[in-house]
Amino acid sequence: MSVLSCSGLSRRFGDVQAVDDVSFSIAEGETYGLLGPNGAGKTTTISMITGVLEPDAGEVVVAGQPMSTSAIAAKRLVGYVPQELALYPDLTGRENLRFFASLYGAARARVDHVLDVVGLADRAGDLAREYSGGMKRRLNVAIGLLHEPRLLVLDEPTAGVDPQSRNQIMDNVRALAAEGMAILYTTHYMEEAERLCDRVGVIDSGRLIAEGTRRELVEQLGERDRISLLLDGDLAHAATMLGGIRDVKSVAVHGHGLELVVDDARECLPVVLSAVTSNGVVVRSVEVNEPNLETVFLHLTGKALRE
Amino acid sequence: MKILSIAWVNLRRVTRDRTGVFFLVALPLMLVFIIGASFGGATTPLLGVVGEAGALRTEPSVRVKDFPDEAALRAAVEHGEVSAGLVRTSADTPRMLVRADRTGQQLRMLVTTTLTREANRSAAGDFVASHTGLDRATALSVVDSVRVEPVEVRTSTTGEALFPQDFSGFDLGAANQLVLFTFLNALTTSAALVESRALGVTRRMLATPTPARVVVAGEALGRVAIALLQGLIVLIGSALLFGVRWGDPLGAAALLGAFALVSGGAGLLVGSLCRTQQQSTGAGILLGLSLAAFGGCMVPIEFFSPALHTVAFTTPHGWAADGFAALTRRGGDLLTVMPHLGVLLGFAVVLFVLGAWRLRRAVTA
Repeated sequence: MSVLSCSGLSRRFGDVQAVDDVSFSIAEGETYGLLGPNGAGKTTTISMITGVLEPDAGEVVVAGQPMSTSAIAAKRLVGYVPQELALYPDLTGRENLRFFASLYGAARARVDHVLDVVGLADRAGDLAREYSGGMKRRLNVAIGLLHEPRLLVLDEPTAGVDPQSRNQIMDNVRALAAEGMAILYTTHYMEEAERLCDRVGVIDSGRLIAEGTRRELVEQLGERDRISLLLDGDLAHAATMLGGIRDVKSVAVHGHGLELVVDDARECLPVVLSAVTSNGVVVRSVEVNEPNLETVFLHLTGKALRE
Repeated sequence: MKILSIAWVNLRRVTRDRTGVFFLVALPLMLVFIIGASFGGATTPLLGVVGEAGALRTEPSVRVKDFPDEAALRAAVEHGEVSAGLVRTSADTPRMLVRADRTGQQLRMLVTTTLTREANRSAAGDFVASHTGLDRATALSVVDSVRVEPVEVRTSTTGEALFPQDFSGFDLGAANQLVLFTFLNALTTSAALVESRALGVTRRMLATPTPARVVVAGEALGRVAIALLQGLIVLIGSALLFGVRWGDPLGAAALLGAFALVSGGAGLLVGSLCRTQQQSTGAGILLGLSLAAFGGCMVPIEFFSPALHTVAFTTPHGWAADGFAALTRRGGDLLTVMPHLGVLLGFAVVLFVLGAWRLRRAVTA
């Protein structure tokens, strides 16, 4: 069942079409990565999904509730963690949480719970301005969790944080998704998207130009996994033999090695190694190259994600 | 409830800032003290005396401090440690050392009157002793027993006194400082509103199940709460520390409430118009001080020229200051200040409508 459904979302600012006919959905327990270069329309899309901005066209529905700037019922279902540290530096961590708990109508007991979840319980009485960057980020996330939302929207939640805090935030996201929360996640870190997201959508110039799992996107672009083998023995015989394996699409000889194009390197590798060694060829080294989201992104947008 | 939460956070943030607390509490009360003392304060003047103070020691309107010699007394007068000095040795005619100010002149009259009365008593005692054969002490007690009814002098009052007879310098300074600082701090603390928008907190509030009108109303109430707190600090603090009299309590409370609304509205407008905290602080200081000057908070309206007097009443400060003057100097009450309240509430409505409209546009655009 879809927790979030966006259809035909569009928004213009003056002459600029910031978001143009964007549609996607997120299921319960699913983590969806929205990737795009700066100025691609991610934040505008998120603003419409969270009810901060009214779309010019299209519709956002959260767990059956239509979202708009005045949709109180829908907003109760969404937790929002903005890119900026949207909290009061001159209040303590607990005071910040209590304030937002009152706006969400969340019980006070939730404040202590989320402090535990993000690992800030022992610093809850300190002013937020005295927190490290990573602690501020965790407090920023905690605010979005206060009211147990069905959909959690995280806009670059790990920007500029230390590895420890990043891992903690990512662990939190995984745990929340495992509990059934739908998660919309934007990031500039491709490895985060690959580790966390079940599906990703690539947005550029306001349009959603590709969507799917990593493997689906790779296949859409015609990219394949590659296995490079450095061997001692009869390379020609080995190449002929490996070419007969079903999942191996092509084999090329390069000096003392072979390069194989395969459907799924991880599944195919044991079969390939077994076939080579059973024919008396010695394997000196193995290298597996899987096209990643960075490759996909570069291919689709012509630029790296962090540009 | 959400409105109160937003307002409370605004108040909490102001009181969390140590610099803010200095401007909110210490500075206004310090200025009430300094200005009150400059205008004579409410203390009994101190007279330095070399020699015999005589009947002056029993005068309720002056305190006496003894000095060993004239040089020490002269230094004390020049340094302002005493209000005036009296040199009274048996060899010379009494001499006074005074500064060229009102208190010095008043003390000169008091000393002259008291010493004359004392000399008259002594002369009358001598006269009774010489004509009756009584000893001098008994003769003086006979003189003291003669009761002379004071001569009734009929007085017609023409024109108005600038200030009532028992009006102290603290009374004069406190009301003006209340008006000045209530408005000034409401404007300068509106930087917090700009900061909330810059941090993205306002935007985040809009993502919660809180209507935009509630967010705007909460921010507006926060501005009013800060202004009200400032006004109460000056009102209660000056009454407790310096004995300032605020006149009719209902009238004073109504004026303070109305002026807090004006100040809150102005803070909301400035906070919603400015893009940076530096802009809002600068605009707050400029507006706060210039309106206070034109509104009679730095120099009492009574000293203004007719043209400037008219200008004063185009500002909310002028109406508030005059309202407090009506309560504290002219014996007015709630009914007396009704016109002032009406004008101030008019200012408040205009400022709130503009500020709320502008803030809503700023956070939802």
